[in-house]
Amino acid sequence: MPQIELIVSNKLGLHARAAAKLTKTASQFACEIFITKEARRVNAKSIMGVMMLAAGKDTTVTIEAEGGDADQALQEIKALFDDKFGEQD
Amino acid sequence: MTSSANKISDTMTATTTSVDAPMVCLYGRGVANGYAMGRAVVMGAAALEVAHYRIAPDAVDAEKSRFSQALKSTSDELRALADNLPDDAPRELAALLNVHQLLLADPLLADETLSMIENRHYNAEWAVTTQGQRLGEQFSAMQDDYLRERGSDVRQVVERVLHTLAGTRALGNLDAILQSDEPLIVVAHDISPADMIRLRGARFAGFVTDLGGPTSHTAIVARSMGVPAVVALGQVRTLARDGDFLIVDGQHGTVLINPPDQQKRAYEALAAQYADSREQLLALRDVSSETLDGVRIGLQANIELPDEVPLALSQGAQGIGLFRSEFLFLGRADLPSEEEQFAAYQSVVEQMSQRQVTIRTLDLGSDKTLDGEATVATNPALGQRAIRYCLARPELFQTQLRAILRASAFGKVRLLIPMITSLSEVRATREIIHSVQSELQAKGQSFDPNIEVGAMVEVPAMAIAIEPFAQAFDFLSIGTNDLIQYTLGIDRADAEVSSLYDPLHPAVLRLIAGTINAGQRQRIPVSVCGEMAGDARLTRLLLGLGLTEFSMHPRQLLDVKQEIRQAHSNALRTKVAAALNRADSIDPDHLND
Repeated sequence: MPQIELIVSNKLGLHARAAAKLTKTASQFACEIFITKEARRVNAKSIMGVMMLAAGKDTTVTIEAEGGDADQALQEIKALFDDKFGEQD
Repeated sequence: MTSSANKISDTMTATTTSVDAPMVCLYGRGVANGYAMGRAVVMGAAALEVAHYRIAPDAVDAEKSRFSQALKSTSDELRALADNLPDDAPRELAALLNVHQLLLADPLLADETLSMIENRHYNAEWAVTTQGQRLGEQFSAMQDDYLRERGSDVRQVVERVLHTLAGTRALGNLDAILQSDEPLIVVAHDISPADMIRLRGARFAGFVTDLGGPTSHTAIVARSMGVPAVVALGQVRTLARDGDFLIVDGQHGTVLINPPDQQKRAYEALAAQYADSREQLLALRDVSSETLDGVRIGLQANIELPDEVPLALSQGAQGIGLFRSEFLFLGRADLPSEEEQFAAYQSVVEQMSQRQVTIRTLDLGSDKTLDGEATVATNPALGQRAIRYCLARPELFQTQLRAILRASAFGKVRLLIPMITSLSEVRATREIIHSVQSELQAKGQSFDPNIEVGAMVEVPAMAIAIEPFAQAFDFLSIGTNDLIQYTLGIDRADAEVSSLYDPLHPAVLRLIAGTINAGQRQRIPVSVCGEMAGDARLTRLLLGLGLTEFSMHPRQLLDVKQEIRQAHSNALRTKVAAALNRADSIDPDHLND
């Protein structure tokens, strides 16, 4: 399964707004997408799951995707992390 | 509509004629003052009466699609609410509705519920309640305050889905209510933001709920409507029926269901007395706020948004002592532009004509965060908040300063900086203000070049080493809420320790006294704008500490003015000084002479 490691670099971490953006982006793809922090692995299309990770700034998370558009999904999610979820810091 | 109207009037007649209904008395927490008497309007709490049964194997698919359909209708309903928000609805409501929509769309809710229907043959209501409770518990167990609160959002979303499944609405009888002539009291398990929007148009005499606290939605709505509310009653929703006669005592947190006539008369007398005292207080609006020995005391209002200025003026506010500018920034996805901020500040300044308006720069980062986002700092109250937050974001800070300075051309504006702890922060802040002033000057934009700059005294470090700060600023404003929290090391929001939160601790009083004295030595004004200032039981104590400037919620102004007019300032100063020297704790009730 294609996977990438990303670092949460926006100041507030994966809280409401960033979690919402990640969830919305992930939901645009048909493939299954999971996000893992330490031992906890959740569906990246679930805002509750993503918030429950409580992934703060500088946390490393793993994104896995499986399905036809998996590579494209990973690219877009990486772009979102690189852009710090559009937050100005 | 007609059927529900008939239903409610039927129940009312039935209850009115049954004279033998026994009285029930419940004790909760009064969060909005006053007395109300009227008929109960019970809001459904679907989660409390969910049917649990197993469905036949051949009905599984039908049950699953019934649930999916309910999710979709609920989502459509929330979208319709969000699209038709009244212009005056608080901004945070829109953000909350958005979160609720995302929760509805969450596979953790939908998929798990569907699999319980499929594998365990639970009916849809049972399955979604079970999954909702599971998720709610997971959120409740989280360390972060913000995440913990999301548990109640999950509960409210599930509640809404249950109503859709049952074909009921949380307030099905609202139309009938709007047409009733009798005073009505809302009885609910809890009130969600979406219910709040639907309640806004209606006139209610009071609110009573099973859950909630002083900052719950119920309390906020009730206070803004000026009606009493009692929360944390435990089981009022199961005990009161539509049409029951209720007495709500917001002073003492008591609710009486179907009281005997004798009790009604006693409360009618109390309510009349309370109304009279409010009436008399209003007569104080235009008299001067002056102690018996002729010391003039400044009384100003704390506001959060420009539309609160009329209320402040109606209660005789002499100025705005604290405009909490961060409320312009909360509950939205983007930052307010310079123009939008300028319009808000200018509106307050113009409404107050030449009266003083003190605008506090952004106090974000602790319990208030942008777009409902919590910081992930382990201890946000000690983290990057207020001036620390602003100095780390010079562009955001400069934008706000430009907007405030431009508004200063239209009246008497003062600039208040929160959370100052060190002199280096004072220098950095002054530098930014100067650079913005030069920039405006270069552009030919007008502003008040002599604008006064003051600091909040809320970190004990500043209060202890107050002298250089009193020299560096034009005025000081004591934020008692944070000063107490930091001095005593007590998080007031933490129920485990909130009883230890003591505004009268000798250490707190000494810090307040020391700050007031430093202000007198440096000849700069010192005010108190925290909750202590608005608590009429503490007015004499603060006068005794030498305070001459108070700023508080507009609704508290007249109560405090009444205390001031009955107090003898010099006598109080002697008494309080003696007690402070003995390091006694001071009982404010013993200051009544």
